[in-house]
Amino acid sequence: MSDSEQPEAENVSQPQWPENGEEWSDGEDGTTMDCGLLQAMAEEDDEIDVYNEETFGMELDARGTTEDPGSELLQFEEQPPSPPPPPCTPPPAPKPLHRHCSPSPLRQSPQYVPWAPPGQRGRGWGQRGGPGRGHLFEDPAVMRIVEGRPSLKFCAQTGGFMFPANRPCPSTPQSLTPKMMQLRFGANSPRPSPFYSPSSNPMQHFRNPGPVTQLHPQHKRLLNQKQHIFQRLDWDPYCNLMTAKEKEWITRLQMIQLQSENPYHEDYYSQEYYRRIESKMAEEELGIRSKREPPKLTTPYITKTDVYAPVVHIEGSLGQVAVSTCYSPRRAISAVHAPFSAFKEQQDIRQQRLEVFSKIEKLFVDLLEVEEAERMKSTILSEAEENGLMAKSQGKVENICSQLDSGVEFLPFLLVSKGKKLLARLLPFLKQETALTILSIVTSNLPTLMSRDPEEALPVLYPPLRNVIGGLTFSQLIVVLKNLTSSESVTYESLTLACQNKFGLSLLYALLSQGEKLLSSGAPLEPSIGDFESWTDTIFQVAGQLSQCSLVEPLLLPSNLLTLFCRYLDKRTVHQLKSNMESATGFVALPS
Amino acid sequence: MNYVPGTASLIDDIDKKHLVLLRDGRTLIGYLRSIDQFANLVFHQTVERIHVGKKFGDIPRGIFIVRGENVVLLGEIDMDKPCDTVLQQVSIEEILEEQRLQQQAKQETDKVKMQALKDRGLSIPKADNLDEY
Repeated sequence: MSDSEQPEAENVSQPQWPENGEEWSDGEDGTTMDCGLLQAMAEEDDEIDVYNEETFGMELDARGTTEDPGSELLQFEEQPPSPPPPPCTPPPAPKPLHRHCSPSPLRQSPQYVPWAPPGQRGRGWGQRGGPGRGHLFEDPAVMRIVEGRPSLKFCAQTGGFMFPANRPCPSTPQSLTPKMMQLRFGANSPRPSPFYSPSSNPMQHFRNPGPVTQLHPQHKRLLNQKQHIFQRLDWDPYCNLMTAKEKEWITRLQMIQLQSENPYHEDYYSQEYYRRIESKMAEEELGIRSKREPPKLTTPYITKTDVYAPVVHIEGSLGQVAVSTCYSPRRAISAVHAPFSAFKEQQDIRQQRLEVFSKIEKLFVDLLEVEEAERMKSTILSEAEENGLMAKSQGKVENICSQLDSGVEFLPFLLVSKGKKLLARLLPFLKQETALTILSIVTSNLPTLMSRDPEEALPVLYPPLRNVIGGLTFSQLIVVLKNLTSSESVTYESLTLACQNKFGLSLLYALLSQGEKLLSSGAPLEPSIGDFESWTDTIFQVAGQLSQCSLVEPLLLPSNLLTLFCRYLDKRTVHQLKSNMESATGFVALPS
Repeated sequence: MNYVPGTASLIDDIDKKHLVLLRDGRTLIGYLRSIDQFANLVFHQTVERIHVGKKFGDIPRGIFIVRGENVVLLGEIDMDKPCDTVLQQVSIEEILEEQRLQQQAKQETDKVKMQALKDRGLSIPKADNLDEY
């Protein structure tokens, strides 16, 4: 690249805000600065001179300028080198360069005044250049240069004001004086480039005592050349903006992509290439014991990425979110149990529910087979087959029951609507004892069931349970009623709740009806001790409850209820009951 | 000395003067201060160099950050190499003027060309749209 000398044209430019510090003071009052500040500025000035000498001294000496550090810069700019002179001719600079703040403040202010603000100047320039050239100066960078050109004297003066910002700090080069900027740019910039800062080569840290490099011989040669150049210790004030840590990071990032368990499989060609080079080298050095081992590509020992979470579980979602990574570009979404949940309790509940759901699904399959067998029964002709089928289905039913019973709690199944449906369909296949167990569970947990039935799936249990009730003996009935009326919660509460709930009420009615049926049937009841008392107590309790609270419409209103009540209660109460029950149903359903 | 892959090889180029040619045709010269894995570049004391014919002009630009994908080529400038170029440095206004004239001339020839082609029923897609296809 050309290192041609800087023409005079691009000397100095009037700095724009915020560099035009001298314009910040109110009006043209240059006297706002006190001598203390000037003193400080003078000191800084000295430092800058020293620095300039160090940085630019060599270059300027090479061009045969004088040794006066102060005037070096300006002189250099004045030199008319080979390039043709610019359209505007810069005025000659005053020889002793007054870059220091030795001129009194007073002197500076009058100089300051006639200097028009850059904006106007720019416009002036544009006009002077004619309409065709106006567009040239839309670029602020260009403008900066172009405007700054004409008055070197001013810039020399105003350059003095720049010192606070003029410190050669690594932050912003814009804070340099225009002149300094000029010299730093392009061809005239200082030449620290071939310097070598020890930390700029991060791979040194990676160097292993053993195999070092794997390089093409040509590359090796070039790098060796560069190494020699690195011995110089020119100083670049802006070097190492990029820290070693950052360089290392980038290297690691690139290296990680090269890591592989089986390089010959994944990076065949480069491996083969280097193998061939090595073998060639070995051939060349045949007979000579080579001290240097064949260089290899050193991949730093970076531990492979730690266990990452391939599954991202979002709270409340049903399954995994497909997170595509470099290891698994596609992941199917599947409903799984949430393993990484923050809320243990919620997770437990959810876990439980999911387990119940899956169990129910499995049981349903069995149930369907049982029902299928039942349906096929009618079509079966041979008795043997029928028996075999029945045995099989019975086995299945027992299996289901054992599954249900094996669970710690039976209740969760009932709480799920699908579980209710399962049970409803299963009940017909169960033996009476098992069915009774279920019934008692239902009745004892009735308040819970009723309250936690958002989909109102309980009624589905009613028909099979009614059938079960229909097969109850008196004692069993009493037991069940006791369950109903004295569950964990307060007696009244369960009854009240039952009255408010279709299923509960219907169940109650069914039970009472069964009792009435049994009593009025005349068959021997074989009651246990205390049964009748409980019975009558229950009747009264229920009657009292029924008459007090508003009733919902039951699923089925047995016809013998009133008869039952008539037997035990007085006419008035019965009448009240009747009206209450009828109002619920909406029509006269009871025989008066 | 290790042979590093990809962008990491630019690490050796840091703090050195480089010339970069961008996809839009601009030429930048500056000190490469920082890089990243996409080969985004941070240039310091950047100068945009405009070439017209045998002349060139520099516009100081300060700090430049170049997005990696826009780089056509990047090369280190060897400061020690003797400079024997025939190129001639001129002022900014001059080079911009020259550039403008060059663009104008090109536009005119293009126009004539397009017209000629159109007359013959042909059309050539513009170069700046080609990237998109």
